[in-house]
Amino acid sequence: MTSIDHFAGFGLGLRRTHYADFLEGEVPVDFVEVISENYMVEGGKPLRLLEEVRAKHPVILHGVSMSVGSAQGLDEDYLSRLRSLADRIDPLWVSDHLCWTRTSAHNSHDLLPLPLTGEALGVVCDNVERAQDALGRPMLLENPSSYLTFPEDEMAEWEFLSTMAQRTGCYLLLDVNNVYVSAQNHGFSASEYIAGLPLDRVRQIHLAGHIPATEKRPITIDTHDREVCDAVWALYAETIAQTGPVATMIERDDGIPPIAELLEELDRARVIARQASQARAA
Amino acid sequence: MTALATRQADFMASLLDDERALPPDWTARHAAGLEIYRNNYRSALVEALRATFERTERLVGDESFARAAAHHLITCPPSGWTLDLAGQGFAETCEELFANDPEVAELAWLEWSMHLAFVARDAEPLGTEQFLEQASAFGEEDWAKLRLAFMPGIAVRDLRHDLKALWSSLAEAAEEGEVTLLAEPATCIVWREGERPVFINVSTAEGRALSEMMSGATYGETCEELLASEGEQAVELAGSMLRRWLHEGLVERLDQ
Ligand SMILES: [Fe+2]
Repeated sequence: MTSIDHFAGFGLGLRRTHYADFLEGEVPVDFVEVISENYMVEGGKPLRLLEEVRAKHPVILHGVSMSVGSAQGLDEDYLSRLRSLADRIDPLWVSDHLCWTRTSAHNSHDLLPLPLTGEALGVVCDNVERAQDALGRPMLLENPSSYLTFPEDEMAEWEFLSTMAQRTGCYLLLDVNNVYVSAQNHGFSASEYIAGLPLDRVRQIHLAGHIPATEKRPITIDTHDREVCDAVWALYAETIAQTGPVATMIERDDGIPPIAELLEELDRARVIARQASQARAA
Repeated sequence: MTALATRQADFMASLLDDERALPPDWTARHAAGLEIYRNNYRSALVEALRATFERTERLVGDESFARAAAHHLITCPPSGWTLDLAGQGFAETCEELFANDPEVAELAWLEWSMHLAFVARDAEPLGTEQFLEQASAFGEEDWAKLRLAFMPGIAVRDLRHDLKALWSSLAEAAEEGEVTLLAEPATCIVWREGERPVFINVSTAEGRALSEMMSGATYGETCEELLASEGEQAVELAGSMLRRWLHEGLVERLDQ
């Protein structure tokens, strides 16, 4: 399995409302991340558009349906379609989430939480190895935000991710907002989580917005539908100071604003990353 | 089953069924967390249905649509890896729920078929000229044995309502759907022209012939069926329908 070199640019997710911006204009980004499943189709307009975007920018394939946490193993049809897409697009890398989405009978289409047990870790490692074999390349796995933890948990999520990366050779996609949301919900320290990760394996960072908990609803909800909040910016600054330059993007899935607004947020990330680099150099 | 498999089967069952009792070792915090997952699950799928069945939603209104979508998720929870297929069977759900308004199921079928055609395999249709060239040396027997492969994503269904009018009347969000019965039932054909899904209506006799040839019947067999059902008009129809299919770009190649 080959390795993934550092690629320290700033990017955005490709969303339908911004197709025209990307195809007709020059969007100042270093990469574009797309949801793999939207393009794992036989043909038609979406694939043609993706190829046009690819002609202008490096592309990252970000999946939501691999389900590396499924006890039943991976879906071979899914893997072969993802492989074809990767062969066609030649992405910077392919990523998915540390979660499960389906059983043999049903698919939730949601990133469901895994019990953090040795057994689940074994399943995840087997599945990640199978996926990397099928794709012919190492993957990035992202920490999801979660709303519950299991009574049978045996380790912290960062320990789970560390061992997974070490055993499978996969890399990490660190969603700083997700760390923040889960820390709020489960009462752990976000700083401790990040410091506990093998930061040399982090190849990409996601930044996003969430809905804070209220008195009536004591759960912070990861919505990816609004701007990044100050606490998450602070956590990003803390993270990037430790990782050094890492590909960073604003991930907006809902309530998509005009692209200029997202580019402004991305500029804020650039400034924070530059300050971190200068501080490291000094 | 392993502990993980059992946990996942349980969790999935609780996700799909609001009424299900929670595991005995779960606290109120777990219940609150699960509620967020239930909401996410439901809203992502209802959103996917709304995006695919935009016009059906306009026709029946938000509330009825939301009820139909919720019903669909309970009776047909998604099993495939792509959210794109969450609408599989929704037209049948509409047929059951809007039994007195059959135009709803017809429209849902049309939107679903166009949704599938949109991402069907890319292919070039066989032009009339190319067809004539390939058939130039055909003897009677070759015509009888002729089989056609149709364009990827093609779909066919009989309709009672004027979906052309309904489709364009529902193009804008605030419009009232224009529901009119056709003078006589017709067959709707959906396929993709370049990158754009399109549809036309033809006679049900032609629709039957197309369905037969799509399932592999020869031109000869299809013409015989036509002769039995349409009598004298069959000969003319057999020629005109083939010309139309070629002209509209429904045929991908000769399949012999
Ligand atoms: Fe993310």
